[in-house]
Amino acid sequence: MIKFLKSVWPKVLFFFAVIGPGIIAANADNDAGGITTYSIVGAHFGTSMLWILLLITFSLAITQEMGVRIGLVTRQGLGGVIRENFGLRWTALAMVVMLVANLGTMTAEFAGVAASFSLIGVSKYVAVPFAALAVWLILYKGSFKTTQKIFLIFSAFYLVYIINGFVVGPDFGKAVGDMFHPQVQLNTPFFLAMIALIGTTITPWGQFFIQSYVVDKGLDIKHYKAEKIEVFFGAFLTNIVSFFIIISTAATLYKHGIRITDAADAARALEPIAGHLAQMLFAFGLFSASMLGAFILPVATSYAICEAFGWESGFNTTWKTGKIFYTIILISIILPALIVLWPKISLVTVMILSQDLNGALLPVILIFVMKIINSKHIMGDYVNKPIGNIIAWLTIVGIIGATAVLVGSSILGYN
Amino acid sequence: MFYLSQVLNAKVRDSADHYVGRVKDVLVRPIAGEYSPVTYIEIRQRRGCNIFIPINNVSGLTREHVDLKTVFNPNADGVCESPPDTHILLAHEIVDQQIVDTNGARVVRVNDLRIGNIDNILAVVGIDISFKGILRRLGLDFLDFLNLLSVKLIDWRDAQPIKGFLKLKILSKDMQKLHPADLANIIENLGVKHGSHLVRSLDSNAAAKALEEVDPDLQKVLIKYLGPELASDILANMPEEEVADLLQTMSRDDARVFLSYVKNTNKANRVENLIKYEKDVAGGMMTMDFVSVGPEWTVEQTEREIKKRSPSLRSMLYVYVVDGEGKFLGSVSLRWIIVSPGKTKMGELIKKIPRGSHIHPDDEVDHIMKVMTKYDLYTAAVVDDENNLVGIVTIDDVMRHLVPNA
Repeated sequence: MIKFLKSVWPKVLFFFAVIGPGIIAANADNDAGGITTYSIVGAHFGTSMLWILLLITFSLAITQEMGVRIGLVTRQGLGGVIRENFGLRWTALAMVVMLVANLGTMTAEFAGVAASFSLIGVSKYVAVPFAALAVWLILYKGSFKTTQKIFLIFSAFYLVYIINGFVVGPDFGKAVGDMFHPQVQLNTPFFLAMIALIGTTITPWGQFFIQSYVVDKGLDIKHYKAEKIEVFFGAFLTNIVSFFIIISTAATLYKHGIRITDAADAARALEPIAGHLAQMLFAFGLFSASMLGAFILPVATSYAICEAFGWESGFNTTWKTGKIFYTIILISIILPALIVLWPKISLVTVMILSQDLNGALLPVILIFVMKIINSKHIMGDYVNKPIGNIIAWLTIVGIIGATAVLVGSSILGYN
Repeated sequence: MFYLSQVLNAKVRDSADHYVGRVKDVLVRPIAGEYSPVTYIEIRQRRGCNIFIPINNVSGLTREHVDLKTVFNPNADGVCESPPDTHILLAHEIVDQQIVDTNGARVVRVNDLRIGNIDNILAVVGIDISFKGILRRLGLDFLDFLNLLSVKLIDWRDAQPIKGFLKLKILSKDMQKLHPADLANIIENLGVKHGSHLVRSLDSNAAAKALEEVDPDLQKVLIKYLGPELASDILANMPEEEVADLLQTMSRDDARVFLSYVKNTNKANRVENLIKYEKDVAGGMMTMDFVSVGPEWTVEQTEREIKKRSPSLRSMLYVYVVDGEGKFLGSVSLRWIIVSPGKTKMGELIKKIPRGSHIHPDDEVDHIMKVMTKYDLYTAAVVDDENNLVGIVTIDDVMRHLVPNA
């Protein structure tokens, strides 16, 4: 036994050494917007959208892998690569797109904080400013790495959904069948949910994040194989969780025709396993998921913009030299928090619409990624293989198509 | 005076007023420490082929249009189809790329370039890194109709472009004069790829000094990225304790490989000795760069030794006195050496030293600080169980340990 451990241990250690980008990005994908979107997809449409989830698992794996590869080859963040190869105009476009998408996602994170505290009876006017202040203080004074680890551990909460999925005793046969049986409803809510589902799984910020992570960690192209496995594993893992959230809500809420209008509705999906503690459990899970995203996003946004425009960045810069770096972080904390504090705003709507925004903007970023990854000049021998191109372009075309249908149907008034 | 962005894409006409193409790029010949003279313009012709025309064939380079002095002839003297070697394409290799502002010791991105006449020669004079430059290039400068934003220009001579320049190994003088700590900061900001280009173009002594100050994680990646030959040169120029620190961050296999790069066997052995100790005890922090003499040495002899050894030592505050077997006898400050008569024996200058004023290789930082504070020491001698002097810990080593990210 000990001998076996000794022979396996180095490999396990190596795996944990590169563990990180794929798993963290994948986990952070299941943020407040993620939980809400998956819950709504399951509660409102049952298991009928699982085929999309199956397809975007491949899309997620492929797009994240491309981000890793660009990072390993160029040793630069996506912002820098875009600036040096596409010039200022395209950079400005990419940065505005990313900023808008990220502000949307940050809004979802604070909405998640507000929603989770509402479950234990704390007003959002207390919870959100407090959370915003906590995010800023920990980023500015505390340890980013430690905090990230803490919330990653908290995100083990998702296991609850997997267990819950078995406790509810859903119709696994139908669920698996629906994964291979594409079905579309031609109405606005369906397309809204569908784009949100894509946009919460594959995100503009995820693309920036994974590339910077690889660069910051100083990973080398020799880590590529291990990194690729990790990214694929991460994509698979995150969507296993999504799968179980969807079938949990499908087997509980959808079955009883309950529509999700606030967090309490979504929490009821956990009642089979947690009973009357379901609300508490959901509140905890939603809170830690929101906070994980809320820590990563402002910094990721600010780093990317500063890298692209050549402004000084990092928490070791002073206020004077790093003025813009800190300003962007503050804006991406304060503005979303203010939006959530708007009286009478529907938190669930905010969370799902922000994911739609992400989904609609995603093609812009993905097209940049595709241009880069297929450039022999930038990537050398590491340009994309045909299969990767096909999956990525299908994803891009699929999202653009779905967005066009959504926009068209809302203009023409089909519902 | 105009900006590069204003002439890019301008229409080019020849002396017969025929349309030739549009300006695609402007080329300069870089000269270290001078405003680089404009040498060619690159023209994109109708059929998409690019051609390079010498600047002396251009009569007017203005915002709206560019005129040639003669009738356009692609086969004329000096006209070429690919960029001439050792010339830099401004739009392609400088604009949008990172440069080092050696005056501010920081890394910035080039938003635009200012071109003007210096002694009647057209040359790049300044680098625009301001927000106003971004607006200008986006065609949005009308937004600043109140002129609230100011243009920030960096003198071209104070800048160190990265992309094209390091390929040509052109390093501005100021770059070489930067403090190693600033250089290290710049390398960190440039990232592995561009940072390693910079390290490559420094001489190995400067590179070693800068690399010592770089964040340990990046240091490890950089040294691997540089390749065996350069890594070996740089390791040769690093003091042993820094090499040991570096190797300690690596996996055992990597460390073995890099230790083999250290050609000097003596040094390699001493590095191996240092690696044995944890990083946060005296043995891991100490340096072996010190001057030791025998008790029978005279002050004159010692002074000669100090002068001889000084170039290779980071700092020197004391001279250590050891007997023939390397046993530690005591230390003498430089001050005492300077004020003592030349014939005095070093052994006579040693003060009686309390046992507690030197430290053991296994002593931890807290203890080292206590000793140094109690006895007002800037450096403490590290003495092993057999009373051998194995190294010294300086106040710098302690500070670095306490404030690792400075």
